[in-house]
Amino acid sequence: MKRTLSVCAAAVIGMAIALAAQQAPRYEVNPFWPQPLPNHWVFGSITGVAVDAQDHVWVTHRGADSLEGNEKGMMANPPTSTKCCTAAPFILEFDSDGKLLANFGGPGQGYQWPQSPGGIAVDAKGNVWVTAAGLETPPPAGRGRATVDPDAVGPPGGGRGGRSDAAARGAEAGGARGDAAARGAAGRGRGAGAPAGPADAHVLKFDKAGKFLLQIGTPGKMEGPDSQTTLNRPAAVAVDTAANEVFVADSGNHRIVVFDSETGAYKRHWGAYGEKPTAAGGGPYDPGAPAARQFRDVTCVEIAKDGLVYVCDRSSNRLQVFQKDGMFVKEAVIAKDTRGVTVGGQFGAVSSAGSAWDIAFSSDPRQQLVFVADGHDKKVIILQRDTLAQVGGFGTGGRLAGQFLAVGSIAADSRGNVYTGEQHHGKRVQKWVRR
Amino acid sequence: MKRHLVVGSALVALLVSLGIGQALLEKRVTAQTNGAAQAPRFEVDPSWPRPLPNGWYLGQTIGVGVDANDHVWIIHRSDSLDAAEAAADEGTGACCKKAPPIMEFDQQGNLLRHWGGKDGEGYQWPASNHGLQIDGKGNIWIGGNGNGNDGHVLKFTQDGKFLMQIGIKKQGLGPDSNSQDRFYLVAKVSLDNKNNEAYVADGYGNRRVVVLDMDTGKFKRYWGAYGNKPDDAAAAAAPRYTPGSTPSQQFRGPVHCADMSVDGLVYVCDRTSDRLQVFTREGKFVKEIFVEPDSLADGSTWDVAFSKDPQQKYLYLADGRNQKLHIFDRQSLTELTNFGEGGHYPGQFYSMHSIAVDSKGNLYTTETYQGRRVQKFVYKGLAPVTKKEQGTVWPKR
Repeated sequence: MKRTLSVCAAAVIGMAIALAAQQAPRYEVNPFWPQPLPNHWVFGSITGVAVDAQDHVWVTHRGADSLEGNEKGMMANPPTSTKCCTAAPFILEFDSDGKLLANFGGPGQGYQWPQSPGGIAVDAKGNVWVTAAGLETPPPAGRGRATVDPDAVGPPGGGRGGRSDAAARGAEAGGARGDAAARGAAGRGRGAGAPAGPADAHVLKFDKAGKFLLQIGTPGKMEGPDSQTTLNRPAAVAVDTAANEVFVADSGNHRIVVFDSETGAYKRHWGAYGEKPTAAGGGPYDPGAPAARQFRDVTCVEIAKDGLVYVCDRSSNRLQVFQKDGMFVKEAVIAKDTRGVTVGGQFGAVSSAGSAWDIAFSSDPRQQLVFVADGHDKKVIILQRDTLAQVGGFGTGGRLAGQFLAVGSIAADSRGNVYTGEQHHGKRVQKWVRR
Repeated sequence: MKRHLVVGSALVALLVSLGIGQALLEKRVTAQTNGAAQAPRFEVDPSWPRPLPNGWYLGQTIGVGVDANDHVWIIHRSDSLDAAEAAADEGTGACCKKAPPIMEFDQQGNLLRHWGGKDGEGYQWPASNHGLQIDGKGNIWIGGNGNGNDGHVLKFTQDGKFLMQIGIKKQGLGPDSNSQDRFYLVAKVSLDNKNNEAYVADGYGNRRVVVLDMDTGKFKRYWGAYGNKPDDAAAAAAPRYTPGSTPSQQFRGPVHCADMSVDGLVYVCDRTSDRLQVFTREGKFVKEIFVEPDSLADGSTWDVAFSKDPQQKYLYLADGRNQKLHIFDRQSLTELTNFGEGGHYPGQFYSMHSIAVDSKGNLYTTETYQGRRVQKFVYKGLAPVTKKEQGTVWPKR
């Protein structure tokens, strides 16, 4: 009898698993989205993707600063190419067919454009929010944009990672000439190789046409996790339009902080588990150690229709769920053993750490699924939202259509399509459709 | 009657031999297409190749060749993966791992054989492998451009069995463009199966083309730009290329391709000079063209391949600076059209490096630096040229 019961139970569990597997939708890439950009524009490292109420897709990226010399030959002085390429504007709006509708971004009156844009969000009123997410390590002074010609001559004995830079330094003066001249010629934002300005510590709000509306925080001014007026490399925002509140993933301060979305006035903040954040944060991640009581790097915040607030603690490999007042509800580990690396590049060190980089909710009324961009593992993981159990996923590592490098941003439209953005050398936004 | 026929065919033969037959043919084609020239048309196949098994990830992909079975062989630099890409090798994440440098794909894009990357009995793997071609017996030839090291080329069977090393790999090596027994930083080895000769694009360090006996590896002849004797000191002293300047009498290099057409002309890429020089098999200079002559930095002439028709009427040129695949009328070397655009989407390029054509006329491209992929462009037949710059060639929908 007992035995029969356990067999039965096993069968039920088996069915449940089968059901979950069956329910998890399958996705395939649309390799022909978006339509090719005009004007020989290329994307830099993509840091944010959002979908607005019209199902238009908004993309932000790091622009010229994240492009290598041979990607921005038209920006060099003298140009090293008249045909390829130049950085696309920082903020681009596409329709769901991939047609480019509008663009804006860059320095302007009354605000400071980020050293490096981070997340992007479009609120219910159609306003566009962008964070100034900064660089963890800016490009080394003086090295600037020495060119790449890693292909020119491989270094003795091979060696990984940094080889392109090693080869670039002096190996073939060729490219270096044109590209070194590119410094300061970027045209928008910080000139490539120009001295770094004040560190990113703010959030910007524009209307859809790019008119500046609000700045929260001041570049270069960082007063720690108790500050009511300053931020530290904020990575993302979510807007609760009904309550006029903007939730900021204030990564460098290891906290979520809430402001009035019209005035920028401080409302409240909290750290991991709803506790008081500290400047030290969670420290280095160790999969064998007990879960840190502090956030490490907070890289996403999203508010579900039922009012729950989801937060990515990226290099801790976890999502934490809160009420809007900061009360901790639950958490989920994404890929416990994923650590990370910081990769040197000619445009500064790039962090590739952790498995919980960004999330999006499915478009069904109950938002039954959560899509997690797992940048270091190069895939999207699908969770069932109520249980936070992993029920599927898509993507693998590589440079072909449907593959990923550093997939770090994700959004879903009302028709069930998913959009992903890639950082580092990925530099693509890809559209995924339900099969 | 009989006599008439004989005279007739003799006349035809004469016309053909004078090239008039071809001209007449072209005239007819032109009439049919309302004056527009014809050129091969391509569309990218975004689902080729299939994703690699084993969590493998490609590095800088710097060589491609097609064998007699229309299998596509590539070579890439496994060691060019950074720590974020090779996270599984490094133990920091679930994906990915360095793939072996040499890989074979079938027409469907499935990965078949894969090997290479290490020294073996009798040979030294290049510090930085570079270029891949397949000879008429199916053997694989590669070069290497590991600075200060690679002075050799290697020949293997398709299973990766070592056959021959010509030249040496030695730390501290430098240029010697008049050496008779080694190279310096070879970009590519192309094969003339009919005459059993290998053409070495030598290379990133040396400034010459070397012709070898394919079986023995014996040096037969070599030459520099315009067929001149290569002179490393003069090449090193030559000013960098600027548009409109007097063409250098030496290759600036890298000498990045040296490929022979069916009619015995050798096409040589002098990459940072933005030029293609054409020679006889013996190294007698025939002519040169400049391609996108405003290109600076790493130059515009990266690799060439020929169309599949018996006459090789069209020459394809990979331009990894401007991210264009240029299509030329091979006889006149006039550009008919080009396609490609910078970017990471299907049909776009990031430093298009190497190209090859299969028996059906399909074109394969590889990308170095941060491109890191091989792409297939499906041959769609000849079509009237309507646009000089076609941009990204996606399938017509």
